[in-house]
Amino acid sequence: MNLRPLAALGIVALCASLAAPSAPVSAAGDTILFGSAVSLTGSLTKEGHLTQEGYEFWKTYTNAHGGIKVGGKTYKVDIKYYDDESKPATAASLAERLIDQDHVNFILGPYGSGTAFTVAQMVERKKIPMVEGNGAAEKIFSQGFKYTFAVLSPAKRYLEGVLDIGKHQKPAAQTVAITAASDSFSQEVAQGAAEWAAAHGIKVVYNNKYPETATDVSSIISALKATNPDIILNAGHLNDAVLVHKALKEQNVLAKMYGYSVGPDTPDFTNSLGKDANDVLGGAQWSDAVKYHGDPGFYSSAKDYAKAFEGAYHHRPDYHNAESTAACLAFQYAIQAAGSLDPEKVRDALAKLDKTTFFGILKFDSRGINVYKPMVVNQIQNGRLVTVYPPGLAEAKVKYPAPPWGQR
Amino acid sequence: MHLLAQDLVNGILAGGILAVVALGFSLVWGIMNIINLAHGAFVMLGAYVTWQLFTSFHLDPFLSLPISFVVLFVLGYLIQRFIINWVARAPVLTTFLLTFGLSLLVVNIALLIWTGDTRGVTTAYSGSNFTIGGITVPWAKLYTLIAALVITGVMYVWLHRSKTGRAIRATSMDIGAAQLAGVRVAQIYSIVFGLGAGLAGVAGTLVSLSYSLNPAMGQPFLIKGFVVCVLGGLGSVEGALVGGLTYGIVESFASQLDFSIGSQHISGAGLQDAVALVVLLVVLIFRPTGIMGRATA
Repeated sequence: MNLRPLAALGIVALCASLAAPSAPVSAAGDTILFGSAVSLTGSLTKEGHLTQEGYEFWKTYTNAHGGIKVGGKTYKVDIKYYDDESKPATAASLAERLIDQDHVNFILGPYGSGTAFTVAQMVERKKIPMVEGNGAAEKIFSQGFKYTFAVLSPAKRYLEGVLDIGKHQKPAAQTVAITAASDSFSQEVAQGAAEWAAAHGIKVVYNNKYPETATDVSSIISALKATNPDIILNAGHLNDAVLVHKALKEQNVLAKMYGYSVGPDTPDFTNSLGKDANDVLGGAQWSDAVKYHGDPGFYSSAKDYAKAFEGAYHHRPDYHNAESTAACLAFQYAIQAAGSLDPEKVRDALAKLDKTTFFGILKFDSRGINVYKPMVVNQIQNGRLVTVYPPGLAEAKVKYPAPPWGQR
Repeated sequence: MHLLAQDLVNGILAGGILAVVALGFSLVWGIMNIINLAHGAFVMLGAYVTWQLFTSFHLDPFLSLPISFVVLFVLGYLIQRFIINWVARAPVLTTFLLTFGLSLLVVNIALLIWTGDTRGVTTAYSGSNFTIGGITVPWAKLYTLIAALVITGVMYVWLHRSKTGRAIRATSMDIGAAQLAGVRVAQIYSIVFGLGAGLAGVAGTLVSLSYSLNPAMGQPFLIKGFVVCVLGGLGSVEGALVGGLTYGIVESFASQLDFSIGSQHISGAGLQDAVALVVLLVVLIFRPTGIMGRATA
């Protein structure tokens, strides 16, 4: 008996089923079905899982509290996920599948600007609204799309707070070096930081990018070191943040401040780097120190949200969790306001939305991006993440300048 | 001048790791004619073996080198014996598909075991360095380079002097003749694939010191291993070493390119990959079998 083709087929089928995990979903008449392609494998795995946690937390809360009331009828909510493998093209085709085959009512965004951009094109074609909390590149919002809304602050603003902190120290930081990954989000973060620095009298002495797939950034760090900057900024994602920070220590680069767009907020950063993570600053969309008083329908304060979230997932919510939950809330309020599940009516309600939540203000400009919500800056102090900026929300004073390597 | 010297050192240090990544890939490709797309996943497994031993038992990464090797060798041996052996003589596309599937399987299993969290192996000497003539050298990367050179040397001697090593080389030269001389080809293939996986494991251990760990981390190493292997010449130990060092140095220098064409600012660092591939093309034009490769009949 020849088993070879059968065995090979079995393996391929097994791989395929693992590559696209999916949960059974009931698309019954009394359920509002959301769909989302998130990065459950690939380079953005960690961030993808944080996104999914944020969505699931909202789903559990909403269903436990009766669901969403739409024009006199109450609906439960459910979310169908596919794994986009951190690939933009895959995310778009999965969004198409969610809309055409799974008949989801609405789309919740993927993680990352690259994937959000391709999914935005898809929902535009299908005329199904998407709210996303994890794609901050303005590139997504300069195409005239009408069906994509983002609850988070634009990418260009990620590291402004870090620069502002440096500017107000005594003595003030005067120079900045910027390294950035080559993806569109990171490039916009770097561009925004460079523009802000130039406009506020901080000299940009180094500004260079590395490929997203870089496995060694030593030579970029060597060149950066030669410029002897007061502030070092990295625009990238978690993995490159760790890579850059390790390389900075290896090359013994001493700056007064180290700021990252993504990284310090996730416990993985501290777990990977140990004491070297201390005194690092990170731009963040949210922290549990923010003081908004949310409208009824969900946890009204960041502290309450954080406490309940930690009870469910056994870790403090980071801003990726919070912004993902906020994306769901935008839908919840818009569906209630529309009093309908009609995609067009919900889209129009999203465009008019003006709600305050634990996360901040949910309000979109004509491009669909939330420019009404400020960023915060967190610093890792003795292994703990604390909010240090803006001054009104600061839980602790910024530690400045950062001590030399080995003394943290 | 000083920066160029620093770049040269950075390039050599990075190239040593790439050489070990490429070594196992190159042996499997050169001897078995299998382009093993699961090689990156094996590198990832090696890194996780190291991380697990480091976290659970505080075992120094360099001491876990032999353990990574043995664990991955056994895994590779079994995979060849019970899975790949079925398609040993199949067209290249079949092994492509099979090893790609294997890669997905391994990555997803790793995701189940270790989750998608980013991890790091941070030892007491991580990041510590010394300066010589104005050039900064991180200790961990220097140890890594030394380990890479020793591994490459051992492999070279073993393949040329030991009985099994000579049987492996005989198989790659002429299967029929090797079989007539009493070499058990199926056995040799299992050993070679095990060796390829074991070397990937070793590379993973070395990588874990300077790179962050997550189940998807193997992908860029697979691609770089591929380029290094073609650059240096298929199936040879010295080819992988020369290819790795060349690639590391080229990439390092490329990151300093910074120029403008008209109003368009070109950053070399962003073009690292492109520059490395251009070098590969140029080498292939003048030496189609790679820098150290020999033409085969």
